[in-house]
Amino acid sequence: MTDVSSPQEAPDPAGTGIDTTVPHSARIWNYWLGGKDNYAVDREAGDQYKEIFPGIAVVARTSRAFLTRAVRYLAGEAGIRQFLDIGTGLPTANNTHQVAQSVAPESKIVYVDNDPLVLAHARALLTSSPEGSCDYLDADIRNPEAILETAATLLDFTQPVALMLMGIMGHFTDDEAYPIVSRLQAGLPSGSYFALYDGANTNEAFNQAQQGYNDSGAVPYHLRSPEQFRRYFEGMDLVEPGVVPLVQWRPDPDTEQAEIYSYCGVARKP
Amino acid sequence: MSTDQRDGGRAGDVQGPTVPRMLVGIQLHRFREAAGITPDQAAYEIRASRSKISRMENGLVRFKERDVTDLLTLYGITDETTRSGLVTLTRQANMPGWWSKYGDIMADWFEAYLGLEMAASVIRTFELQFVHGLFQTEDYARAVTMLGHTSASAEEVDRRVSLRLKRQDLLNGPTPPQVWSVIDEGALRRPVGGAAVMRAQLERLVEVAKLRHVTIQVVPFNRGGHAAAGGSFTVLRFSEPEVPDVVYIEQLTSALYLDKHEDVDHYMEVMNHLSTEALTPAQSMRFVSDMIRDM
Repeated sequence: MTDVSSPQEAPDPAGTGIDTTVPHSARIWNYWLGGKDNYAVDREAGDQYKEIFPGIAVVARTSRAFLTRAVRYLAGEAGIRQFLDIGTGLPTANNTHQVAQSVAPESKIVYVDNDPLVLAHARALLTSSPEGSCDYLDADIRNPEAILETAATLLDFTQPVALMLMGIMGHFTDDEAYPIVSRLQAGLPSGSYFALYDGANTNEAFNQAQQGYNDSGAVPYHLRSPEQFRRYFEGMDLVEPGVVPLVQWRPDPDTEQAEIYSYCGVARKP
Repeated sequence: MSTDQRDGGRAGDVQGPTVPRMLVGIQLHRFREAAGITPDQAAYEIRASRSKISRMENGLVRFKERDVTDLLTLYGITDETTRSGLVTLTRQANMPGWWSKYGDIMADWFEAYLGLEMAASVIRTFELQFVHGLFQTEDYARAVTMLGHTSASAEEVDRRVSLRLKRQDLLNGPTPPQVWSVIDEGALRRPVGGAAVMRAQLERLVEVAKLRHVTIQVVPFNRGGHAAAGGSFTVLRFSEPEVPDVVYIEQLTSALYLDKHEDVDHYMEVMNHLSTEALTPAQSMRFVSDMIRDM
């Protein structure tokens, strides 16, 4: 186990960076998933959201279920043993390393986040199997090259890597999001994979709930059209069934079926 | 626990229900309300009085396992994980633990804590004074015990130490809880039992931190306004989604158990501040190793 700050290990002298007065996306997400790592301000924001769009708890569950199926596919059929998971979030059931290492115990995972609360939880609770490794990188996705550079010291970049951006790119505008994704993809070796999901703008209640959330003082989250999702995968070979709503991506027999306005895809870098 | 010097010195009046009982009660109450069933209907189902249901939900009585399962069925709880989770908790609420034979040296409020510790899936602690009981060496545990029980016979001290060590079996069990401990530098500097004992204790910390389910973070003197703001405390988390976190705060002759949202939120916030302000786990072990080298 190592933990790495980028560009250099820098403690947080000004404070701990936890603000309990505005809702916090990782903690609200934790609340929707039925977790216990959330505060009153998060539960209130989460409940307000739910009033406008009651389906959000199902979205949270199906998103997590997609992550599980995607990682199982990547570690299984695709034979990937290295995972770069950016935007880790608070620990829940079936975290990336647990799913990957249940298929291949030697899997190496680099968790990347810039939230001190998320990082503290990851270091304590997302711990690796003895055969594999988990590392924790304190870095901002707006500097993709720094992430790639440090990740290359923890993973073997002569071998394929799975880049995971799960529910994180919505936090950025188009001007930021597309360059970030393409710069990250550019740093991956050939044969690597890329997996992403985010919320889509195909449902009016979902759009409204998101607008209310964005007005609350929390970091805004942008819903995108299915067409905009496809742009993330340009130049990559999409794995079947392509860019689809979460529950349609290689569902298991027990995959919860619901009308879901979040899209996802998995692709291979040629 | 700051606490761990005391293992429950015979507290005078021991009050109230044990926490596992409270936890079973909380869940039965929630399930009944969610199912829209009245206390009278529930009482009828298990051939009891309405007040018995109320006492059960407040955790004031022992539970019959069958009453619990009958009620769960009445409340429409069919999920096996939930049912078996609650049955396990019921058994823990009713059955004397391995520690019951130490009843003569242990107050009920500490016994209740041990029950919770055994049932928890995540144990988060902040230690200001002493190394946590789950990580203590025998010599350190003996020194801490003697601080708290100056007039105890040699035999009593032995039994207290053996209780402490027996507790540590938890870490080596088949499904150990995640133990996430934040410890103030002061607790590492204070040479409890003398320099040699302390050195061995620090070495133990480095060893135990290698366990996958153990995380140790040090708050050095040069950080941490928050660390100074309160005393030691423990937050216990249970895998059952319905069971709230419990905050445990040991006092001189009793203990405080908090499970209300606002209380737990407050302590969890402090714990999260401490965890983010402390050295990372990797830095912490370098810190402790440096301390050992400089001793």
